[in-house]
Amino acid sequence: MTESITKGDSFVYTIYIRTTPEKLWDALTKPEFTRQYWCETWQDSTWEKDSSWKAMIPDGRVADSGEVVEIDKPRKLVLKWRNEFRPELKAEGYSYCTYELEPEGDMVKLTVLHEIAVPKSKFIEAVSSGWPPLLSSLKSLLETGEPLEATTKWPKRHSKD
Amino acid sequence: MSKPAFVYVTYIASTPKKVWSALLDGEMTRQYWDHFNVSDWKVGSRWEHQRCDSKKVDIAGTVVECSPPNRLVLTWAFPNEIEDATKVSHVTFEIEPHENNMVRLTVIHDELEAGSKMEQGITRGWPIVLSGLKTLLETGTALPMFPKHS
Repeated sequence: MTESITKGDSFVYTIYIRTTPEKLWDALTKPEFTRQYWCETWQDSTWEKDSSWKAMIPDGRVADSGEVVEIDKPRKLVLKWRNEFRPELKAEGYSYCTYELEPEGDMVKLTVLHEIAVPKSKFIEAVSSGWPPLLSSLKSLLETGEPLEATTKWPKRHSKD
Repeated sequence: MSKPAFVYVTYIASTPKKVWSALLDGEMTRQYWDHFNVSDWKVGSRWEHQRCDSKKVDIAGTVVECSPPNRLVLTWAFPNEIEDATKVSHVTFEIEPHENNMVRLTVIHDELEAGSKMEQGITRGWPIVLSGLKTLLETGTALPMFPKHS
């Protein structure tokens, strides 16, 4: 990461999930999983280094856009990531989101680091409250077969109209 | 300069009462925390975090606030450092009902000594413990046990 990132703002979250790195990787990236726990969104990418990446809202709008910076399946994924549907967040520009998946026995330690070169970032404030329920729901889906109800639908407060 | 704080939020398909029990009931904590939390839970009373096998006290403190099932506040220190105010940190558990059938559990660990062994330990430890608590409440069985505490 560039030095400007370290002078900005960041959010980090670690969660342990009873699953395999391969299943967790699929759950983080494939539409049939993300639509269940990630508010009905899906990600559009060929998942190659430098390829484009978009997170899509069910109504057809783009939630976030960017590119695949680094991909080492199923251990590490780094995405360049900019919000597209909230002007004050889009204005802050691109962030970097790093997923690290480390097997620990029958569990996987997932660490999500989200960073941006903007101090006191509104984007980081937003993702700081977004990641815990999403990752909690992902854990519930992988461990119990059911996501948490609260993250199964795109929120009404962010609907088109 | 303010002292660092560690904050961890997790969402659990459960009820506040069950989450409260999971934090204090020895039959639960034994499974995911490998420790008992021992106290009479009255404000001002001593609290101890004891290893299940040896009853060795790894952490101790006092009960600052106890409002079941929503809020518990404890002081927190290694037993041999408990008289040193600079080494005593502060843990708040907030257990809130969230939407349908869910609980938002927020753990705020503050008043930490920057760069200390305690700060490093809890930063690594809370996600492990709270992931284990969630798995136990949601699946009925504990996560495959973690590396034992040193």
